Amino acid sequence: MKEYKMVVIVHPGNESVPKAATPPARLASLKGKKIGLLDISKPGGNFFLDRLEEIFKTKYGAAEIVRTRKPTYSKNAPPQIIEQLRAMDAVVEGLAD
Amino acid sequence: MMLLSASLALSRHSFYRCLMPQVLNAPPISGLQSGKKAVVVIFETDCPTCQLALPYLNSLNQDSVQVIGLSQDDERSTREFADQLKISYPLGLDSGLKISRAYGPQNVPTFYMLDESGQITKTLVGFDKQGLNDLAAALGHPPIAPADDGAPAWKPGCSSRHLEPEAQGGADESGAKLLRRLGDPASRITLRNEEDPFEYCRRKFGDALPVVPPTVEKVDAMVRASGLAPETIIARVAPFYGEATVEKIAANAVMAGCAPEMMRVLMPLVRAACDERFNIHGVQATTHFAAPLVMINGPVRQELGFWSKQNVFSNVALANSSLGRAFQLVLLNIGGGRPDGIDMSTLGNPGKFSFCIAENEEENPWEPFHVTRGLKREQSAVSLFAAEPPRGVSEHTAPAAKTVLETISFALATVWSYRMCLMPEAIVVLCPEHVKTIHRDGFTKEQARQFLFENTGIPVRYYSKEERAEGMQLAANYKEITIRGEKYYQKFRSPEQIHIFVAGGTAGKFSAVLGSWATGTTGSQMVTYPIPDK
Repeated sequence: MKEYKMVVIVHPGNESVPKAATPPARLASLKGKKIGLLDISKPGGNFFLDRLEEIFKTKYGAAEIVRTRKPTYSKNAPPQIIEQLRAMDAVVEGLAD
Repeated sequence: MMLLSASLALSRHSFYRCLMPQVLNAPPISGLQSGKKAVVVIFETDCPTCQLALPYLNSLNQDSVQVIGLSQDDERSTREFADQLKISYPLGLDSGLKISRAYGPQNVPTFYMLDESGQITKTLVGFDKQGLNDLAAALGHPPIAPADDGAPAWKPGCSSRHLEPEAQGGADESGAKLLRRLGDPASRITLRNEEDPFEYCRRKFGDALPVVPPTVEKVDAMVRASGLAPETIIARVAPFYGEATVEKIAANAVMAGCAPEMMRVLMPLVRAACDERFNIHGVQATTHFAAPLVMINGPVRQELGFWSKQNVFSNVALANSSLGRAFQLVLLNIGGGRPDGIDMSTLGNPGKFSFCIAENEEENPWEPFHVTRGLKREQSAVSLFAAEPPRGVSEHTAPAAKTVLETISFALATVWSYRMCLMPEAIVVLCPEHVKTIHRDGFTKEQARQFLFENTGIPVRYYSKEERAEGMQLAANYKEITIRGEKYYQKFRSPEQIHIFVAGGTAGKFSAVLGSWATGTTGSQMVTYPIPDK
């Protein structure tokens, strides 16, 4: 096997270790729950989310649907939207085009 | 810089009483004397807007007005901040963020102007040249923020430290660590003797091509050239928000083949990329073609050997290729924008290897690009634009400026998608032969831009109410104009969406058009940063 001179290099990448978030327990049912629907504001998102809203209400008995929308798909959701969604039992983020 | 002791209590009670009457037990502002007008600014050391704004207060005459900065960070960061930015007025520490919590600025920097009796007469939030000049005028001073110093007219600030989630606990006397100014030293990786360092680095940190192993010696030389401490955080690079310390940037610069002198350009470039206006998060994660195009102007072109002539977009010069590549490696390794991962571009862009051009200012009969962007001619500058790959425009037959510009307008009409108007921007890279013709026929740069604006459109007959196609759904917002006797929708919102840059060889009548990604405040805005002098 070929031997190379021992080389020490400087780590050029991001060394921060992401904190693992524990996912919340799965909901057994959507009945009586508050569901947030986040539209990321790409064209067509409303078609998908309108249909979900209807299904969640009529078929699964969700108590409340909260619709919210990012100002632009190109940037992170502003903190007030995240705060609003924090109060939900479940959230669906609608990505469409 | 004099760092005031936080416990030195030469306070002006009325300052905080009139700020927030309910917090009479708020801690005093150290060093504030009564009977004199004062400007107090609350700031964070790692907030780019604070870094931009605070040096402007150096120009205020401190004989007639007291100027005091209150740092929300620890002593070490504050001293570094003052040294690096050459702050000439006293700074104090807001230990435990007590003063910030009491007075509650939403954003930093927040400037408070006080009269002789300590009443607040003016409050200014963020960086605002007009606001700073108004503040100076109210103190009887000439303007302190000139329009042509390269800084934007306005820049929003950062959230005040006491409102950050990490600060809510309140126990941390040294301030939050989340947005610290100094990072950790980069790890050293000792390669096993049987490991080929080139192969290892290509596999772990390369851009799919071999890279120069960033050995400790080479990285140290690069760090020394920067003149900064290796752990200094220059920016946090999206989408993973990795801390781009001087040392990590240097390691990527070594890998890309940069000379140590290139740190002078690479650091403002990384800062520019992480300017919130540029929105590198979106640029790096989009499915679109966009890649950040680096454009270099000014004396740095000769000093470091940036190429602006034939083959300007190609593999022609070490300076262009290594800077563009180092920048892409920073985005990849520190930002985490892996092209096989979170960078979701459908087809990508060959510019993601390296995408760096310099302006051929010598063949440009008009003002150089960085002057149009608000800087002085003798400054060096780096501009960034989220660009599609160049599309060529050949025009070897037209003898007159108007026809050359008309030919270019046909390419401009196709950017983003033919029927999409108003949203896109474009860069027109004019080759020396074309610009010579256009200038000879009497066009100024502004007139050429105006002509392109007025003559770029899509025929209205290509839109219908019955069909669905990209760009059609927005037609109600488009402006109808007449070009060559036919009805068109105007492609661009304003002439400012067309940027003219002169580059390329003196032989050949080939110019180029580069389209944009999403633009404006909901997309990516072009940024121009000065490069410090040698």
